[in-house]
Amino acid sequence: MSIRAEAWPAGGIQPDWTLNVVPSTQDESGRNVPLFESDDRRLVEACLAGQVEAFDVIVERHQRAVYQVCFRFVRRHEDAADLTQEVFLRAYRGLRRFRGEATLKTWLYRIGVNVCLNHVAGRQMQDTPLDEAPHLPAAGDDPALSFEKTRESARVRAAVARLPRKQRATLILRVYQDLSHREIALALGTTVGAVKANFFHALGNLKKLLAEDARGTS
Amino acid sequence: MTHLSPDQIVDVAEGCAGGAVAAHAAECETCRAKVASFLDAVRLAESDTPPQPSPLFWPQLAARIGAAVRRERVRVPFWRSWGWRLAPIGAVAVLVIAIGIGSRMRTGTPGSDPPDPALPVDAATQSALEPSADIEAADDPSWLLMSDLLAQVSVEEAEAYGALPPPGGTDKALLQLDLAEQMELARILREELGARAPALPQGPGA
Repeated sequence: MSIRAEAWPAGGIQPDWTLNVVPSTQDESGRNVPLFESDDRRLVEACLAGQVEAFDVIVERHQRAVYQVCFRFVRRHEDAADLTQEVFLRAYRGLRRFRGEATLKTWLYRIGVNVCLNHVAGRQMQDTPLDEAPHLPAAGDDPALSFEKTRESARVRAAVARLPRKQRATLILRVYQDLSHREIALALGTTVGAVKANFFHALGNLKKLLAEDARGTS
Repeated sequence: MTHLSPDQIVDVAEGCAGGAVAAHAAECETCRAKVASFLDAVRLAESDTPPQPSPLFWPQLAARIGAAVRRERVRVPFWRSWGWRLAPIGAVAVLVIAIGIGSRMRTGTPGSDPPDPALPVDAATQSALEPSADIEAADDPSWLLMSDLLAQVSVEEAEAYGALPPPGGTDKALLQLDLAEQMELARILREELGARAPALPQGPGA
């Protein structure tokens, strides 16, 4: 695509160059690689060079993972969508600070965890009412079993929401996002040993909370 | 005997414990129970399967983020994207500032000794001494805008964004001036050159 600057006021100084916008990056050998085939590092470089289309590819590639983390924290679709947008905006603003020590995905998780923890800080999360729990039974599912599954999911989600911040973030990234302990350490800015300890205590507390909940409802 | 620490229990549960730790877990009933309890909690946590949004949601979300990012780009300071267009303006500004400084050096700063009234004062010098001249310049919005812009832009930034005049930029800027402005600039330059040359030869008709 070639954009020629033509709309200059009469008498103004017109540029004698043409701006070429090619939706691609270059690999080591200088070969043009389409954006959607470029790796994350090259997409970041392209973004920093002013190619905003490269950021669209980053969004498309990682929005599901970021949304899922956000949903795990806020448990509401609309909030999760808003926070996902906020995560990507912050990533865009701070792209120059991405040094490639961790993968882009881990870096986005780090931003996501911070955004979500800030969002829920000081806010008493309400349990998702069962009638709002958006789990629809698949065709052929036993409705009674499906209802029980939905209720169990809601209980677990509510218990996870009551965990201390670091334990909660660790559990979400390990169990639901399948990050390694090292990746979680990078995302949370802590050590692998601390991540494992937090994971252990998070699961212990989860069991306790679920047991308390079961005693309360029985 | 020392039992396994939390991180060692995690290692055993995930099957990545070293020899001694794994051997202890195999022999110690207390630690085995902790590992089993840990794995039970993992299964509980995994039982929560969140609802998946509609497949149509993802393109919508991507478009929404893309629009927000593009709005963000608009917030970039305008002189970054307009840097090259500021070059001629910058060139004129530098010229005007240089002339202004030179003129003030010649006429004296506020508070300095007034010129000797016994000496003849030409019209240009007189107008430079008029208080209205400085007040007028200070009130001129274009001058204020230029001052503000230049105050915010460091030399390095100006150079990085191409706001310094390129070769020939000053010439181009001069060509943008209309006849009256060119004559005024010529007059100021003549004055300035005259002031710096103490003994300019006077023509026979002067």
